[in-house]
Amino acid sequence: MSLFHSAVAGALALTSAAADKQTVAPPPPPYAGVYQPQGVDEIGMWREDDESERKLAASALVIRDEKLNAYVRNVLCETVGADRCRSVRIYIMREPTINASMSPNGTLRIFSGFLLRLRNEAELGAILGHEFGHYEKRHTLNRFKAARSGTDLLAWTALLASMAPSYDARRSYNDLELSVYGSLYRFSRDNEREADFLGISYLNRSLLRPQAAASVFQGLMGEFEASARAKGLKKPNFSKIAFAASHPPDAERAAYLTLLAAPAGASRDNGADRYRGALAPWLPAFLSDQIKLNDFGASEYIINSLAASGWTPTLWMARGDLYRLRGNPRDLVNAAEFYEAAVQLDPTLADAYRGLGLSLIKTGRPSDGQAALRKYLELKPDAADRAFIQMMLPVQGVGQ
Amino acid sequence: MKLFCRRVIAALLLCAVSGIAHAQEKTAVRQGFELKRNSQKKILVFRPAVSVGAQSTGGMFEPNADWTEKSKANIRIALEKFQRQLGNEIVIAPEAYGEDARKVEEYMALFSAISQAVIEYQFFIGNRLPTKKMDNKAGIFDWSLGAGVADLPGAKDANYALFIYNRDAYGSTGRKVLQVLALLGPGIAVQSGEHRGYAGLIDLKTGDLLWLNADSQIGGDVREPDGSEKRVRQLLEDFPGSAIEKEAAK
Repeated sequence: MSLFHSAVAGALALTSAAADKQTVAPPPPPYAGVYQPQGVDEIGMWREDDESERKLAASALVIRDEKLNAYVRNVLCETVGADRCRSVRIYIMREPTINASMSPNGTLRIFSGFLLRLRNEAELGAILGHEFGHYEKRHTLNRFKAARSGTDLLAWTALLASMAPSYDARRSYNDLELSVYGSLYRFSRDNEREADFLGISYLNRSLLRPQAAASVFQGLMGEFEASARAKGLKKPNFSKIAFAASHPPDAERAAYLTLLAAPAGASRDNGADRYRGALAPWLPAFLSDQIKLNDFGASEYIINSLAASGWTPTLWMARGDLYRLRGNPRDLVNAAEFYEAAVQLDPTLADAYRGLGLSLIKTGRPSDGQAALRKYLELKPDAADRAFIQMMLPVQGVGQ
Repeated sequence: MKLFCRRVIAALLLCAVSGIAHAQEKTAVRQGFELKRNSQKKILVFRPAVSVGAQSTGGMFEPNADWTEKSKANIRIALEKFQRQLGNEIVIAPEAYGEDARKVEEYMALFSAISQAVIEYQFFIGNRLPTKKMDNKAGIFDWSLGAGVADLPGAKDANYALFIYNRDAYGSTGRKVLQVLALLGPGIAVQSGEHRGYAGLIDLKTGDLLWLNADSQIGGDVREPDGSEKRVRQLLEDFPGSAIEKEAAK
């Protein structure tokens, strides 16, 4: 029955959190030092986790760029402090969706899709700090124990209900099942709130701007809205809590994170330039992964927000790719325009000439298109698709 | 009629939280494959995947580090004991680093995915594909990991690779009590504990799966040396060319 105790405790913690929502988050608790798992559940869980980390370390999805890894690690250390930071191994995964996670033994996974969406160092610090909060509070273990108590209770009730099988018994069992699962999801959301709380207390103490925590969620809401708009769907409701939601709704998180951030921190640096610089070598790859998700509204939102501080050849080319891959005749005209803007800024951008050529050929300008494709092959003589591109070019010098 | 309805409801209720037991063991050999005893072939063995824990009353897996470590050691000892009887030479795969480790990991994952596919779609009743059912009748067993296995570390010096997988969840006290009461009361079979093991042999030149033995209710308590011996014996008893004697009764 500890599930019900924890659910009650969670509800109490929530009301107390609501009561002091007006105040800034207090500094984080003193660091307890290197932690070792205790008890059969936690030790067993860490062993499984060690095994899974061993696999992860050898996974083809992990980005092993030393510079990028060192940079992300440095941001974590700046956020949570050098002592806490030592207990973490960071793995950057090449995966274009939005996620980061922390497992019990100190394995932090962050997806490239998240790195693409974050706009500065302080936002990255907010995410890494939140994940570290899960680790410091040992949420995975607590969630495992809660799920076990819940399913144990359901097993016994199922047995009792089977002993007196009537529709009433079945209905009561179903009600209980709903309330057990409901409270497990609520427990998970409370864990997330606690990690948010801890994450922002690290950020308040650091040299980074704590207001960035809320801006992460504002950015995500903007993207989800843009994605829905492009699909012709109605605006998503960012305040509604779904039954099986593992996280609190984005609007709620943005609101309480704003209040918890230290106001004095608003004048601090957010490290946007450093962040942009560190990500620059990977930006074309991450953008290309994103475009292939076939989510036009979201991709355009991301490209536009990256371009807020100026359009670069990479961004023009990504925009061209986005439009060309959607591929309506009107899109191809736009794509050609964007590729032209890209090659004007950087006349050596081979792939932009490729996109430009392919778009022009399909919009009734074959000779301009072929000129662009020739330029592509000239800039990139060993292109993998050389033979394919040459099929679109008339053979020069030989009459046909 | 009413009684029948009650049985159905009761069964539905408990099925929601428990799997129903099926005794299942199956072995298959690729057509035309023969491994003669003492044919001087070398078999490369990769680090066995072992995971041991308990099963909670509600059916969740509760990992247990102590049991897993013990089982790993026991299984290694049992493997060493049986390797002379396998009829061919056993080589333990070298510890891999960097790029090699990534390759091994990828092929371990691929082997696991393919074995799962064989178990799910060809071996056991339930979800078999019609094409695989026909294969079963015709004695066809045709699966492959691809010729890339030849690049695995240690592959140059061996003919075949042996992969071993074990996962054990021992029923907790609560699960056992639930099992007994469910049987005595509404008369429903609740499975307590889960013991799955499989072993497969791969051709290191072509990547073809030559032999697979899968058992979803394998015997032997891997936490004990004797039990681990029994487990390894059951996993390898049908190994082509092996001299391991079958147990009279399970």
